[in-house]
Amino acid sequence: MDNQSPIVSLRGISKSFAHVIALRRIDLDIYSGEIHAIMGENGAGKSTLVKILSGVHRRSGGHMEVRGEAVDFATPKEAERNGIAIIHQELNLIPSLSVSENIFLGREPLRAGLFIDYAEIERRSAEILTRFGIDIDPRADVENLRVGEQQLVEIARALSLNADVLVLDEPTSALSEAEAQRLATFVRDLARQGVAIVYISHRMSEVFALADKITVLRDGNFIATRRSGEISERDVIRMMVGRDVKKQEVAPSVSESPIVLSVRNLSLERPNSRGRIHSVVNDVSFDLHAGEILGIGGLLGSGRTEVLELIFGAAIGKRTGCVERAGINQAAQSLTPRRSVSKGIAFLTEDRKGTGLLMHADIRSNAVLPSLPWLAPLGWISKTREDTVAGRIITAMRVRCEGTDQGIDELSGGNQQKVVLGKWLETRPRVVLLDEPTRGIDVGAKEEIYDLLKRLAGSGVAIVMVSSELPELLSLSNRILVMCEGRAAGIIEAHDFSEERVMELATPLGNALTGAAA
Amino acid sequence: MTDPGERAMSSSNTMEWLKGVVKATKLYWGLALLFAVGVLSSPVSSKGHNIFLSFGNLSDVFRQISVTGITAVGMTLVILIAGIDLSVGSVLALGSVVCAMLLTNEGWSSAYLLGVPAVFLLAFFVVLGTMSFALRVQRRAVHAEAAPGMSKVALVVALVAALLIALRVASNSGSKAGVLLVLLVVPAVGLMLGAINGVVIVGGRLQPFIVTLAMMVAGLGVARLTAGQNTAVWPVYTGSNATEDFEALRSLIFGIIPVPGVIFAGIIVLFWIILKFTKFGRYIYAIGGNEEAARLAGVPVWRVKITVYAISGYLAALAGILYVAQYRQGKPDAGMGLELDAIAAVVIGGTSLMGGRGSMIGTLVGVLIFGFLSNILQLNNIDSNTQLVLKGIIIIVAVLLQERRSSGWMFFLSQLKVRNAPDRSVTSQQTETHRHGE
Repeated sequence: MDNQSPIVSLRGISKSFAHVIALRRIDLDIYSGEIHAIMGENGAGKSTLVKILSGVHRRSGGHMEVRGEAVDFATPKEAERNGIAIIHQELNLIPSLSVSENIFLGREPLRAGLFIDYAEIERRSAEILTRFGIDIDPRADVENLRVGEQQLVEIARALSLNADVLVLDEPTSALSEAEAQRLATFVRDLARQGVAIVYISHRMSEVFALADKITVLRDGNFIATRRSGEISERDVIRMMVGRDVKKQEVAPSVSESPIVLSVRNLSLERPNSRGRIHSVVNDVSFDLHAGEILGIGGLLGSGRTEVLELIFGAAIGKRTGCVERAGINQAAQSLTPRRSVSKGIAFLTEDRKGTGLLMHADIRSNAVLPSLPWLAPLGWISKTREDTVAGRIITAMRVRCEGTDQGIDELSGGNQQKVVLGKWLETRPRVVLLDEPTRGIDVGAKEEIYDLLKRLAGSGVAIVMVSSELPELLSLSNRILVMCEGRAAGIIEAHDFSEERVMELATPLGNALTGAAA
Repeated sequence: MTDPGERAMSSSNTMEWLKGVVKATKLYWGLALLFAVGVLSSPVSSKGHNIFLSFGNLSDVFRQISVTGITAVGMTLVILIAGIDLSVGSVLALGSVVCAMLLTNEGWSSAYLLGVPAVFLLAFFVVLGTMSFALRVQRRAVHAEAAPGMSKVALVVALVAALLIALRVASNSGSKAGVLLVLLVVPAVGLMLGAINGVVIVGGRLQPFIVTLAMMVAGLGVARLTAGQNTAVWPVYTGSNATEDFEALRSLIFGIIPVPGVIFAGIIVLFWIILKFTKFGRYIYAIGGNEEAARLAGVPVWRVKITVYAISGYLAALAGILYVAQYRQGKPDAGMGLELDAIAAVVIGGTSLMGGRGSMIGTLVGVLIFGFLSNILQLNNIDSNTQLVLKGIIIIVAVLLQERRSSGWMFFLSQLKVRNAPDRSVTSQQTETHRHGE
C-alpha cells in the first residue's frame, strides 16, 4: 500500500478560533483501504482536525489535497461531494422522523419529481441496515431508539453516501461492547473494500485492534504518526499526555460493611415504540454495602440505565418493587428525584448535555443546583456561598476553566463531566449512581475520575456504576451485576472477574448479535 | 481549549473593554434610539417646549404602560420556563369586571361567587407557605425534611384560617367594596385561573399554548357571564356609584408620578429580586434551560410551574384593577389583544421563547419601548391602523437589535446571503443522486 499516493493529504494545517489556537501545522496523509486512528486528550484538536477535513470548519492556514487536487471545503456538502463523509460525536438525527427518513434526509428519492418515494427509502434503508447487521426497523421513529441505536442509524446514514473517506468521531462512545465489536468488523470490511477510514476514539484497546496507523495530537500539535504494530499502548499514552500513566490494578474484594441500600424485586414496564407494553426491568434485587463499588454490566438496552433510574425515582413507566434506604422501605412507585436528593442519593446520567447540565448557564449555577435546598434554606441565594461551592468544586475536581462564571458550553467534555460529578458530590451523597461516568472523556480525565471514585468509596460512600467499558468495570468494581434483557443475569464476585464471564452472562442465549438491538 | 493567558496576550485591552461596554449596553440601544426619535419628531408647543419631553407626557406614558407592564412581568416568568400564557387578556378582563362589580354593587353578586373561593385558595396557600417557611427558619439542617406530624397540623391551621378569611370577605357583600378589599379579592380570582392553567399543564402533560388558549376562550365566557347580559360594561364613578378611596389608584404622587406606574415599578423590582437572588428564581431558569436536568437535580418542577402560572394570573387580574382605575369601567372585552402586547414586550426585552434565558430588566426595557412607541405615534397624529403596521415592523427591528447572543444584524445578513446562492445546493444534490445511481 505504501507505493500508492494518498487519497487525502494535509500539509501544515492550522486553525484558530478568535484568539484560541486549536491546531498548529498538522501534517496528515490518508490512504485508501487504511484505518487511520487519531488520538489525543480532549482539547488536543482531534475533532477540529476532522471537522476541517469534512468541511465543517474552514482552515486558517495550510494546504489540503484530495486525489491530488487542491481543495478548500466551505460546507460539509462540498466535502461529501468529494467523497468525504463524517459521523459526529454528537448525534445529528431528527427525532420525530423514522430511521429510513433520517438515512435519506436531504436527498430523498422522488416519485414524479415531487413526492417522496417512501417505499424506495425503506427498501434501500433496510438494505443498508441488513448489510451492517443492525436489527432496527427502518420504519421505527428515531426518538424511540436508545442513544446507541441512534448512533448506528447515523453510521448507516453516512455509509449510504458511498463515501470513500469515512471519518468516525468517537463512534463507539455510546455503544455496548458487543455493538462496538460489530462496528469494528464492519469498519474492517469497509477498509478491505478500499475505503479510507479516519477513526477517533478514546478506547485504547479498540484503536489497537482496528487501526493500521495511529497519529497522536497533543494541545493542537502534531506529535507523531506510527504504524500500530510498531508501538505499544503505553507509548501512545505517553505521547498523548506527555508523561507516564499507571495502568489500573484490580480493586480489593468486598468488605462486609453495613448495607446502605437494598433493592427488592424492582420491575419497570412501559410501552415500546409500537405501543406494546413490554418489560424493561424484570425483578432485580441486590444489596449495596457502604464503601462498595457495584458495577453494572450488560448490553445496551439490557435495562442497566433503568435500574439506576428506578432507584433514583426518575424512571418513567409502571414501577413495582421497593427500595430500602436509611432503614426506610419505600415502594418504587413513590420515589421522586427530589426525595432521593434530600436522602443523599446522587445520579449522574449518561447524557451529559441532555440531562446533566444546563448548557447555556454558567459553571456556578450548574454547580450549585442540587445543593440549593440547603445552600438557600430560606430561598435567598447568597452569591458568596455560591462562589465558595463552585470554587471548591473547580479546585477539588481540577476543572480547567477561566472562573465560576464561564459558560459550561465552553468547557471540554471531560471538564463538563467533572462539573457534573462535582455538583453531585457537593450534596454529600451516601449513595452515588453513575451511568457511563467516563463516556467521551480523555485518558487523563478518566484517570482522575477513577482516583476520585476510589477515594469516595474509601470514605464509605456506596457507588453503583453502569459502564460499557469492560476494563473500567473490572478494575473499579468490587462486584459486578450483569443485566441481560431486563433481568439480573448474575452477580460476579471479585475473585471471579474476567471479561469472558461478564460477556457470557450479558449475552442472551443463542443469538449473540441480534440481542442488543431487539 | 480556552487558555486565558493566550486570550489576554493576543488582544489589546482597550478593544476588550470596548467590546465589554457594547455587550453590556446592547439591551438599551433600541430604547435610546427610540427616545431620540421621540425627542426629534415631537411637535413643539406654543411656548416652544418639546411636548414629548414634558412632565405631563412622560408621566402619561408611565401610567399607560403599567397595565401591559404588570402583565408582562408575569409573562416573563412563564416564558422563562419555556411556557406561554395566552389567557392573560381574558383574566385581565374578568378582573376588571369583578373589580367594577365589587366597587359598585351592593349585596351578593356573581363577583362574590368567584371571589370568595378564590380568596379561600389564596389565603390557604399563603398561610401554609408562611408556616412551612417559619418551620424552615427553625431547622436548617442538611438533608432535612419536615416532620410528618407537623405538616398535618399546618394543613389544618391553614384550612381554618383560609375559611375564616373567606367568610370575612363574604360577609362584606352587603355593602360596596373599598379599594383594599378589591386589591385582595380580584388578584385572587386571577390566581385561581392561573393555578388551573398550571395544574392542567402539569397534570395533563399538555402544551401550555393549548391549555392557556382554552383558558383564554373560557375566561372570556366567564367574564361575560359574570358581567351579566343586560349591561356588559360596568361603569365606575368614584364618589357617585363607588367609594371615594378607589380614586387613590388613579391619583398622582406629588402631582407628577402616577400611582399605577409606581405599582408597576414596585412589581418589576420585586420580581427582579426574586429572579436574581432567590432559589425560586434560579429554579425558573433551570427549568427553562433544561427541564429534565432540573428534575433530576431535585428541582420541584411541578410546584414551580404551577406557581409561575398562578403568579401570571394574579398579576393579570391586578392589572385589571388598574384598567378599571384608568378607564372608569370594567368590561369583558377589556383585554383584547393584551396577551400579544405582553409577549411582544417580553421578547423585545431579549427573553428567549425557548426558555431559560432573559431578565426582568429586559422586560422593563421592552415595555418602555412599546410605551414610547405608541406615545410617539400618537403625538405625531399617525392613523391608528398605520400604527399597527409600524408596531409590527418595529417589533422585528427591536428584536434584531436586542439579539444578544450572536450579533443580530450579522446573523440576519448571513441568512440573506445563503438565500442568494441557491445554485450550490442544487448542484450538490444532483451530484449526490448521480453518485448514488452508480
